[in-house]
Amino acid sequence: SSQLSSLPLQILLYVNGIYYVFYFLATLAMIIYKSQVFSYPDDLLAPDLAVLFLMAILEVPRLYLGFKGNLTEAEAPLGLSLGLTVGSVVLCVYLLLWQTYVLWADVLLNSVLLSGYGLESGLKVMAIAAFVS
Amino acid sequence: PADTLDAAQARVRSAPAPVTDVARLCVCDLLVAQCDVNCCCDPDCSAEDFSLFTTCSVPVVTGDSQLCSQKAAVYSLDVEANPPERIFKLIDQVNPSIFCIHATNYEQALYLKSPEIPTPENFDQLLDKFGGATFSAEPDSWNLDTDAQNPPDANETSRYEYGVPVQTEDAFLRLPSPVVSSWCSDANPAGFLVNQATKCIRSVSVEKCDSIQALSMLFYINSSILAVPKSSQMVNITVQSIVVQSLNGMRTLLSSSDVLRLPMVLDELCINAVFGVNYHITHTDTGEIIEAAAAFVLGAISKEALSIEQSFEISFTQENTQPVPLSGNPGYVVGLPVRAGFQPQGYPFPAAFLSNKHSQLTILQSTSTQDCLTAQGARAPVLFGYNMISGCKLRITAAMKCQPLAQTLLDVLKGQSFPEYVASFGNSQAQDVLDWVPIIQLHISEQADNDIISHTLQSSCQIPVSLAIEVKWTKYGSLVNPQARIVNVTATITSTTLKQLPSGREKIIPITSSVVFTDISSPAEPSYKAWPTINIKLPFDFFYPFV
Repeated sequence: SSQLSSLPLQILLYVNGIYYVFYFLATLAMIIYKSQVFSYPDDLLAPDLAVLFLMAILEVPRLYLGFKGNLTEAEAPLGLSLGLTVGSVVLCVYLLLWQTYVLWADVLLNSVLLSGYGLESGLKVMAIAAFVS
Repeated sequence: PADTLDAAQARVRSAPAPVTDVARLCVCDLLVAQCDVNCCCDPDCSAEDFSLFTTCSVPVVTGDSQLCSQKAAVYSLDVEANPPERIFKLIDQVNPSIFCIHATNYEQALYLKSPEIPTPENFDQLLDKFGGATFSAEPDSWNLDTDAQNPPDANETSRYEYGVPVQTEDAFLRLPSPVVSSWCSDANPAGFLVNQATKCIRSVSVEKCDSIQALSMLFYINSSILAVPKSSQMVNITVQSIVVQSLNGMRTLLSSSDVLRLPMVLDELCINAVFGVNYHITHTDTGEIIEAAAAFVLGAISKEALSIEQSFEISFTQENTQPVPLSGNPGYVVGLPVRAGFQPQGYPFPAAFLSNKHSQLTILQSTSTQDCLTAQGARAPVLFGYNMISGCKLRITAAMKCQPLAQTLLDVLKGQSFPEYVASFGNSQAQDVLDWVPIIQLHISEQADNDIISHTLQSSCQIPVSLAIEVKWTKYGSLVNPQARIVNVTATITSTTLKQLPSGREKIIPITSSVVFTDISSPAEPSYKAWPTINIKLPFDFFYPFV
């Protein structure tokens, strides 16, 4: 077939985008809840919020480059998107393991996001391999 | 040894770690080394004790229930078994909520914070933070605010206010006083316009008497007083008078008080030790101190004495005024002396009244000897509200003449200077003539009925035997805060006839004097402002043409 763009990757990127909006709002709401219910000193609240917002800032170019690379069958944007995905994975692992309070809901959301990133990275690698060859 | 000391200090610096093992935590274990009743988690209880329990007062001990899974110790009594036994189970309790805490990376998250143990290094910082009435989270910002406020205020309040400690060169004017116990504490500052009198005990020893600072005059007049707070104008404390007290208590006023007498050891006695200081501070009406004088009582301490009682007093007088102690403001206060005075010559141009400490209303004070003729001079001031009665016994012999005896008894009853006027209010000023009530003096003579005929025949000798002062007072002013006001004072002298005694015989007559305070206030009725009435009248011809 002449179409090299990966359909599963496209679907996954699309779902990831929608899920990320929900994830961001839910995690922000939970941080606010934790700061009210538990003792959350300011010098521990600041890094957690910073990580969350940094992840949100990274997500936008990451998804855009992924879409663009997949649709135009260009490996450069896709490669850049993969690099940004690695950064997002690190931040996601931080929120999963090293947050001040890790609630059960946090564990669920972050593991779903992490699995999404992992699947996405695999599909991106395959797509890059297909584009290059 | 240095290492163990450091280790011990390190252990002391941190509070003991909290017990978090659920199996060892027992809230109902209150008695040490004894079994608490119905406490299933008490380690001091044996199986026999458990068999006597009826229920478990603490059925379950868990950690923080917000954790997703935590250990719980469950205690229960198995009543079916014979004898009943305690069942202890350690289970994992699961919190089903989706918002349960899976993990925390913050150790103090779920425990109360251990307070800092004060050490010499962090004591000042802890005192700043927690030493006040409220805990300041940022003590430094508070300090900055007060510093900014102080410079503008310093120029305005360059005078003493009531209660402000009187400042001297080095610190404050000290008035040693007993704090908590009766021992003298030198850290009590004298407040401006606060008249104080304190007595306290100082421990002394004759050997070191010249090195104990508090026994020397210099300690009390050394530093000069600042005329206004935070100024450089000094007022030296002058020595007003020195009274020397001997070992048996007799006091002598020294004629020259400019020589400073320091304590020294003489013949196993310590002489010139300060037993009392009386400060007199003169101030202006703008809160500036212009004069300070101290009157000392110096005494001798014997070798056996381990402590002496020192008394200190401070009084403030405004310049160019004569201080007259008020007995109330404005109404009389129960227990304060009734103020009295004389009107000097000048009637019908009444001048101001003379009222000082020597012209008080006084009555005879009973003494232990009870003999009227030897008890002259002892008088007690009449205190408002206190009914008093006193008396003495008069021994009449045949040789006594009537007239001198009557005069002597009148002096005994009325005193040397019996006043003519009594102040109506506790704060009546001498210039306000209308505020003074004249003392009405009555004379009553008792006569026995069957002696009337004989009295008309021979010359009668009347001697006063009793003085009864009746003070009528009323409540004056508002209903909620009535003030006592003296309305009428009547001094009644009752005389009786003295019959001539046969020679060699003597007779004892009782002489009494009394003061009675009577409340003649009429009952007060509260009166209220009249409710406003609405006065509506229709015009005269409203119902024209029907009316």
